[in-house]
Amino acid sequence: MNEKRHMGLKTLNRVSNTSIYILLVIISVIWLLPFIFIVLQSFRVESTYQVGYVIPKQWGWQNYINLWNSDFKRWYLNTFIIALAAAVLITIIQLCMSYTLSRFRFKLRGPLMRFMLILGMFPGMLTMIILYRVLSDLGLTQANAVPGLILVSVASSGMGYYVSKGFFDTIPKSLDEAARVDGATRFQVLYKIILPLAKPIVIYTILTAFMGPWGDFVFARYVAFGTSSGYNVAVGMYSWLTNDQIARMYTTFCAGGVIVAVPVTILFLCLQKYYVEGVTGGAVKG
Amino acid sequence: MKKLFAILLALSMLLSMSVFASASSEIAGTYDVTIWAPDAAVDLTKSQVEAFNSSNEMGIVINATVEPVSEADAASNMILDVSAGADLYFFAQDQLSRLIQANALTKLGQGAAAFVKDNNSAGSVLAAQAGEDYYAYPLTADNGYFMYYDKSVVPEEDVDSLEAIIADCEAAGKNFSFELENAWYNAGFFFGTGCHSDWITDDAGNFIAIDDDFNSDAGLIAAKGIYKLVSSPIYVNSGNADFASGSAVVVTGTWNYATILEQLGDNFGVADLPSFEVDGAEYHIGSYSGCKLLGVKPQEDAVKGAALNQLAQFLTNKDCQIQRTVEFGWGPANKEAVQDEAVASNPALTALAEQSNYAIPQPNIHGSWWDIAKVITTDVKATDGSDDALKAALQKYEDSIAAVFEMTDEVRNAFTLIGTVGGTNWDTDLPMTAEGDIWTSNEAYEMEAGTEFKCRQGKAWDTAYPADNFVVETAGTYYVQLDAASGEVSLVPAA
Amino acid sequence: MKHYSDLEFLRLSKGQRFVYKLTAFFCGIPRAIGRLFIKIWSLIKGAFLAIGREIGDVCSTFKNGDWKTKTSFLVMGFGSFARGQILRGVLFLLFEVVFIGYMFIAGGHWLSLLPSLGKEGPSSEYNAVLDTYVTAYHDNSFKILLYGVLTIFFIIAFIYTWRVNVKQNKISEQILKSGKKLKGSKDDLRSMVDENFHATLLALPMTGIMVFTVMPIVFMVLVAFTNYDGAHNGFSNNLFTWVGLDNFNTLLSWSGGNGGGQSYSATFGEILTWTLIWAFLATFTNYFLGMGVAMMINKKGIRLKKMWRTILVMTVAIPQFISLLYVGKMFARNGLINLSLMDLGWIKQPLPFWEDPTWARISVIAINIWVGIPYLMLITTGILMNIPADLYESARIDGANAWQQYRKITLPYMLFITGPYLLTSFTGNMNNFNVIYLLTGGAPTNPAASGAAGSVGYTDLLITWLFKITTGAESQYYLASVVGIMVFVVVAFISLVVYNVLPSIKNEEDYQ
Repeated sequence: MNEKRHMGLKTLNRVSNTSIYILLVIISVIWLLPFIFIVLQSFRVESTYQVGYVIPKQWGWQNYINLWNSDFKRWYLNTFIIALAAAVLITIIQLCMSYTLSRFRFKLRGPLMRFMLILGMFPGMLTMIILYRVLSDLGLTQANAVPGLILVSVASSGMGYYVSKGFFDTIPKSLDEAARVDGATRFQVLYKIILPLAKPIVIYTILTAFMGPWGDFVFARYVAFGTSSGYNVAVGMYSWLTNDQIARMYTTFCAGGVIVAVPVTILFLCLQKYYVEGVTGGAVKG
Repeated sequence: MKKLFAILLALSMLLSMSVFASASSEIAGTYDVTIWAPDAAVDLTKSQVEAFNSSNEMGIVINATVEPVSEADAASNMILDVSAGADLYFFAQDQLSRLIQANALTKLGQGAAAFVKDNNSAGSVLAAQAGEDYYAYPLTADNGYFMYYDKSVVPEEDVDSLEAIIADCEAAGKNFSFELENAWYNAGFFFGTGCHSDWITDDAGNFIAIDDDFNSDAGLIAAKGIYKLVSSPIYVNSGNADFASGSAVVVTGTWNYATILEQLGDNFGVADLPSFEVDGAEYHIGSYSGCKLLGVKPQEDAVKGAALNQLAQFLTNKDCQIQRTVEFGWGPANKEAVQDEAVASNPALTALAEQSNYAIPQPNIHGSWWDIAKVITTDVKATDGSDDALKAALQKYEDSIAAVFEMTDEVRNAFTLIGTVGGTNWDTDLPMTAEGDIWTSNEAYEMEAGTEFKCRQGKAWDTAYPADNFVVETAGTYYVQLDAASGEVSLVPAA
Repeated sequence: MKHYSDLEFLRLSKGQRFVYKLTAFFCGIPRAIGRLFIKIWSLIKGAFLAIGREIGDVCSTFKNGDWKTKTSFLVMGFGSFARGQILRGVLFLLFEVVFIGYMFIAGGHWLSLLPSLGKEGPSSEYNAVLDTYVTAYHDNSFKILLYGVLTIFFIIAFIYTWRVNVKQNKISEQILKSGKKLKGSKDDLRSMVDENFHATLLALPMTGIMVFTVMPIVFMVLVAFTNYDGAHNGFSNNLFTWVGLDNFNTLLSWSGGNGGGQSYSATFGEILTWTLIWAFLATFTNYFLGMGVAMMINKKGIRLKKMWRTILVMTVAIPQFISLLYVGKMFARNGLINLSLMDLGWIKQPLPFWEDPTWARISVIAINIWVGIPYLMLITTGILMNIPADLYESARIDGANAWQQYRKITLPYMLFITGPYLLTSFTGNMNNFNVIYLLTGGAPTNPAASGAAGSVGYTDLLITWLFKITTGAESQYYLASVVGIMVFVVVAFISLVVYNVLPSIKNEEDYQ
């Protein structure tokens, strides 16, 4: 009897596992297909517009050569600079912010957090026009859009402290207290004890900050309008999908998409482990 | 005190002399100029600027940065921030009034205005004009649409009938691409049945009224024509070169010529738009014809402004326009360039020319009209095609445009004089003032025998006197007087 | 409703308990709102009382203080100098000099123009010699408003610093009286990395937030009270000016049209409804499906866990403007999906993914699932692994099947831990610009709602509508600003209600 029930469970398990495998395969296909399509289209050279089939009839590098000959290099470099600067500066700012709000108890802490919560409820879209004007007054638009974009994204990044604060909250406070008893200053506590433990969240913050600028589109277009040398990849490539260009540039857009996505994806997959730790440690706590 | 006065006088003289000196000095010099041109035209524009540098005799050297910015983006970017905008930019004519409103276009001087008037086709001159003044240089006169088709699906004998084309496409399971959810395209059906939609501006270029009869019997016929197409499963709301993705007919313009030629190869066909049939009568689908213009940003430095106007005249002269036809198939606005062989031998431009018999020049249009009028197609598509439902859709359109002008009661109730009076030609409302029920024109106008006019209320034709136009019998200078109670119109000779 | 005690509650059947909890939640909302208003009122009252106390304190400091303190009322930092705290004194004095200098050079000018927002617009003149028109620019309403606001910020900062300066004197006097020594500059510097370390750490981030988040928001809120739009851009054509509450009247009035035969308030209501539906569906479909996928991958006996995860996670890594634009085009009427299905003969007519309102709404939610599942999968994986295994073990011994285990253990645990996350993701979805803008741009057009303020589509959220108003034909910044304020009100309202009901946020320290 017992034996039989055991067998039943096993078959049941096998059946459910098989159906899960089937489901997972279907899901994977759905998730991967668009990317495979983009890659395939980027090698299509017989025509440059949208077509009703996926596998190219003629393969070639022409679209990538087009990319090389266009302003894409410049856009890519711009985006890379923004991403790099953002990764460094945003990480510093967000860590300062979240560490302080997680570890210190001072008079203004509660009001400050509530204040930022309320600020976050305003749609950011609204402030685009004024930020543009401020940057334009500082001479950081159009050709100088790169430092302008860095400035804006870094300056307001303190608002995004939630995830890393959540992570710091999970590091036991007793560690700090022990060190303080031993005579360490607050700075030494942060530097020598907390930071090594916070490696996942540091990498998580760097990674998200680095990835953000690659998709920044609306504001970047606002700031750099009319000056190709100030575009980032998203702004530049979006113009290829407008009505007057899509017939000529569609496959080039696909090639550009591949060039943008591949390095970011590889980086992401390499650091995936930290990303997961950061997300689960911090995001949920909010 | 006297001394001070003398010093001040000397100073002011010095100042005025220096102003005079800078104004009269040569416009020779080197200027940094930003130009926005559509992506395709960037390289050509650069070489044309080079040509200007080497050929002009005024000693102007232009150090140009040419940025790829499409005509549509150029207008909205200029409006966002004029000071960061380009000095010279390509734009489509329907943006003219928005750009003037934003103060993003400089008014042309007399010489430049004469250049525009003398060299370009009548439609394109009109496009560059607002009120009495000119604000831009015509670049092309090809901003219209016509029909490209796949000869293997639509036989040549069918291209004149919308019904036959739809049947061919349905039989072959191919799409008919016509971007009717865009007022620029769907208005064509209305023009085909004789409707009109004209915007009335005051001298400052502000819109004050619309004269529009889309909601009429003729408009109903047009709506039926639209319904024929949009109710078919093969209708696609697109103006892209869709032949590779299942379309056999695409209504679009010259800008897609090269791509479509490549897509269709031997099956390439191009024609003017077809006719549709309602109650036994045929209506040829109309269209807008429009221009692309070159605008100059207002300058704080008069000398640079003058140099820029010279450059703009060069870039829009006959030779430069023909170069654009040869390179990209853009149809010229220049009267002589139109005669050129390069223009005549282009099949797309030929089709455009055929369609131009049914096209109306695109007037200045209030920005919100595009959003209001495109909805007609969406509404028509949602109906069952019955007369009542289509009428309801048109009624909604009329209500929508009426709401754009929330006229004050004062304006709505006031009578104005309109006709061939005072050098106007049924396009300007002349003000009148009331004393009780008696309205009198503010000025006395010189009228010849045969001058015609009406007095209308609220700048609309709902209430207008007399019923038939008033015709002046004896020449003279008159005030116009209207008794609003009886509707009687009379002339009062000026003392 | 009747309140049950714990014992009574336990006696209820499952169904009754659920109904009880649900009614308790909804009955709690009015009280939560009431509490909210009381809280706001007491905050305002508290603020006034605090100001009163501060003024009283300043007066008594002046009355009781020595001559050093009294001089400090005029010359900031004098007391610190005189008592040997050089660093503090220098900083106070410097701030005062900068402030007075700024007010003389620029601040006064901007402030004086603030009530009118400028007097003289640009002018154009004909230059007969060159046969060309010359433009001269004058006042700039935008700058007046911007620098006016900044000046007010600066004044507030100055008053605050002055107050700190006065307080410093009082404290120093007290310390000296009690016979202790004052801190020197060296001690001040040291405290920056020790007991005042938090201030050091926060200085830079908060400055950024003040300048690039707070100031723009204040500015845009003020714009709602002006007529700033494309026709009055404040510099190159016409100046703009204050119009009071007119714009709020326009948006909230039930009569009057936006040109589409529908009032603004009706349009706003329609878009708000869809925004809420979207936010709800987008949040919870992602949440449950993401959890489901995570549980499938984590199930014992499933191999290649890492591979499945990696495949899904790729969508997080690839910039949305690429993936969403591409997928949007795939589902177009003449896109890849329709064409392939037609080639296969499965359908005769293309499916109206983006043309039919209902189809379009379902499509954006479906594609949003595609975007969101991987992220949720990552989050929930971590939490699922944290659920103590012995809970499941004992449940199994009690004979609970998989569904019961999920209902009784997994789900409550997840909901408790992710409650705050669900709220932020709900409000985040309300403002999810990317998905809607890149997929549909708001299409298909909603004829009744479209009009003079631009076209409105069935998939438009408030945030995309706001974008359209700003960039549309009329560039009605003032209206966008009013809509933005409304979005804030809605989001704030929902958050506050939920915060007051959710257990896991209330006590932050407990959680740690």
